[in-house]
Amino acid sequence: MQRHIVLWSLFLLFVIPVWSQDTSTPAQGSPFSQAKFVPDISLILDGSYLHRNISDEQNAALLLPGFVESGEHSPPLEGFNLNYAEITFYSIVDPYFELFAVCHLSPEHFHLEEAYWITKKLPAGFQLKAGKFLSSFGRINELHTHYWDFADRPLVHQAMFGHEGLNEIGARITWVAPTEIYLLLGGEMLMGEGEASFGRTGFLLPRENIRVSSVKGPGLFVGYIESSVDIGDASVLLRLSGAQGKTRSDDYFSSGVPGGQALSGSTTVLGGALTVKHTLDAVRYISLQSEYLWRHADGTLYSLDLLQQVHESAQEKRQSGFYAQAVAKFALRMRAGLRVDLLQGNEMLENGQRSDLPTSLPRYSTMLEFNPTEFSRIRLQYNYDLSRYTESNRRLDRITVHELSLQVNLAIGAHGAHSF
Amino acid sequence: MRRCLSTILICAAFLPAVASADPLKVVAAYPYIGDLVERIGGSNVRVLSLARGDYNPHVIIPRPSFIAHVRRADLLIISGAQLEIGWMPPLLRQANNPAVQTGEPGFLDLSQYVTLSDVPTSVSRELGDVHPEGNPHFYLDPENILLLARAIKDKLVQLDSRNASYYEDRYREFSELWGKKLVEWTQKMTPLRNTRVVEYHKVFDYFVHRYKLQIAATVEPLPGIPPTSKHIEQLEAVLTTAPARFLLQDVYNPEDASRHLAEKLNMKLVVLPHDVGSVKEATSIFSLFDELVRRISE
Repeated sequence: MQRHIVLWSLFLLFVIPVWSQDTSTPAQGSPFSQAKFVPDISLILDGSYLHRNISDEQNAALLLPGFVESGEHSPPLEGFNLNYAEITFYSIVDPYFELFAVCHLSPEHFHLEEAYWITKKLPAGFQLKAGKFLSSFGRINELHTHYWDFADRPLVHQAMFGHEGLNEIGARITWVAPTEIYLLLGGEMLMGEGEASFGRTGFLLPRENIRVSSVKGPGLFVGYIESSVDIGDASVLLRLSGAQGKTRSDDYFSSGVPGGQALSGSTTVLGGALTVKHTLDAVRYISLQSEYLWRHADGTLYSLDLLQQVHESAQEKRQSGFYAQAVAKFALRMRAGLRVDLLQGNEMLENGQRSDLPTSLPRYSTMLEFNPTEFSRIRLQYNYDLSRYTESNRRLDRITVHELSLQVNLAIGAHGAHSF
Repeated sequence: MRRCLSTILICAAFLPAVASADPLKVVAAYPYIGDLVERIGGSNVRVLSLARGDYNPHVIIPRPSFIAHVRRADLLIISGAQLEIGWMPPLLRQANNPAVQTGEPGFLDLSQYVTLSDVPTSVSRELGDVHPEGNPHFYLDPENILLLARAIKDKLVQLDSRNASYYEDRYREFSELWGKKLVEWTQKMTPLRNTRVVEYHKVFDYFVHRYKLQIAATVEPLPGIPPTSKHIEQLEAVLTTAPARFLLQDVYNPEDASRHLAEKLNMKLVVLPHDVGSVKEATSIFSLFDELVRRISE
């Protein structure tokens, strides 16, 4: 009986409100709805079909001597690749701020590629930006992958800033001069976790009394100056950048693995980027772009030999490289391009002793694109890569890599326009 | 090194102490806007138009030099209705000029002052390059030009009230002159009433509808999508049973398909200007419409 009462009261509890709603005024949208404040959201999907002359295992073990000493982490495989799905969010926060976020998704990972705010109202031509973002060093680093003219990062950027580029937590200030000619100055203070040239986390090997402390943040400083002039229908854009930061790396050294290495030092990278875009008519243009990067790194290298003995040596690197590319939009929906990559001046000294490294590492690429609309891109790219080596018995052997890829990149949703 | 850089930055920021007697610096997205501002603002404004008049207004390359112009602007005028969506937002973001941000008095969106046609009830990119707010080529209706001129006048008065009577006088002068031209254009266009025309892209809708011509078809199967041979065949079939007299082509889209259709179906291919500077005769807002009328009515 008691059970019945409980059931009946439960029934009434649900039915009465529903029944009473029927008699009320017609349903309106919720007075507290915020649906209209949904930020701009977009999803970009990038996939490719790839063919290479060597196996995935061989490819994963290849080195860029003097630059990338251990095998690449997860390069695209032969066959189908889902390179990434990227979700972007953007909205004006209030009259004072705008907010951007980019989430990078792969089948196994979710990571916050960028999340930062910029100011809208600072006076006198200033703007602040803070959060996690791609550094404005050079030209291509701060551009999103889907806006690149080729499927992959230029070799020199890969070598000096790693596969994720210079992507850091920190703050940036820019100032645009109130001049007839465009002039921009920018400065960044970054934590300096950057994988290939920088790094913050220290390392210990107590039994040998080695204690290298972590770098106090911010540990990386970037400055750049940019200007542009128009010569007829050509826009010429020049950016000079410099980055100075502390370097810490620990490659199985602190865990005491024989052959482990660690480095403590500092690195300076200087770069010059030149872009020329010449419109031929309302449809066609030719775009030339080149970046030159120079790096000087020095520090102390700690290494463990096979008997777990520690060797300390002074290491110094002077390296440089560039890429130069030409891209032509020759029809409403077609583009084609050529790119030359070259790493050169590969000089490494250990205790003043010069290492025997190949001094010239080139790669040649060509691409052809069909863009059905601004939201879809189909790209065929061929890389002829002479920069990769294998190491066996302390001997370096060059492996020629031919790589052919067919890439499809699609964007849906509300995606903001790109700058120049 | 760091301290040095910040000192330079701070000093440089205060260098350009702006003299207040300077003319109002106006940056216009397109040349037709620039010409209108010059007509109303006269010697009290200094105008700069960003886009070239002979390029596709949807796909202007945001040249870095534009950033310097927007940086120093007191007033930024866009055409609006998402015509600039592909190139203006990054410029505004990079120019670091709080005066011309959206929602500020120094920002003017002209599309807010006219009624847009073809406002879609639902949008999908399946339908090509659709504009959710309606067809953005509203400035090719000569009657709309008066509304735009008034919006510009009101804005100049708001920002530079000391010269209010100057702007009012020039606006009155302009609207009288424009009124006369409207009569002249109507006279010339009246014989063409109910004439069927084909357009390449829906650029000239407002102009064509103002003078009551009929749009039979577009050469593009969907806005922004170039014609396929299948679409051309369908067009041929439709236009054979119900012929059109003119094929209206803009200056920036490829002409091949239009030329083929015009020849085959005995239509007159007319290349029309869509902005000041799109053809050499269209040097001002007046000659733009003179030329539109002349090319179609002669």
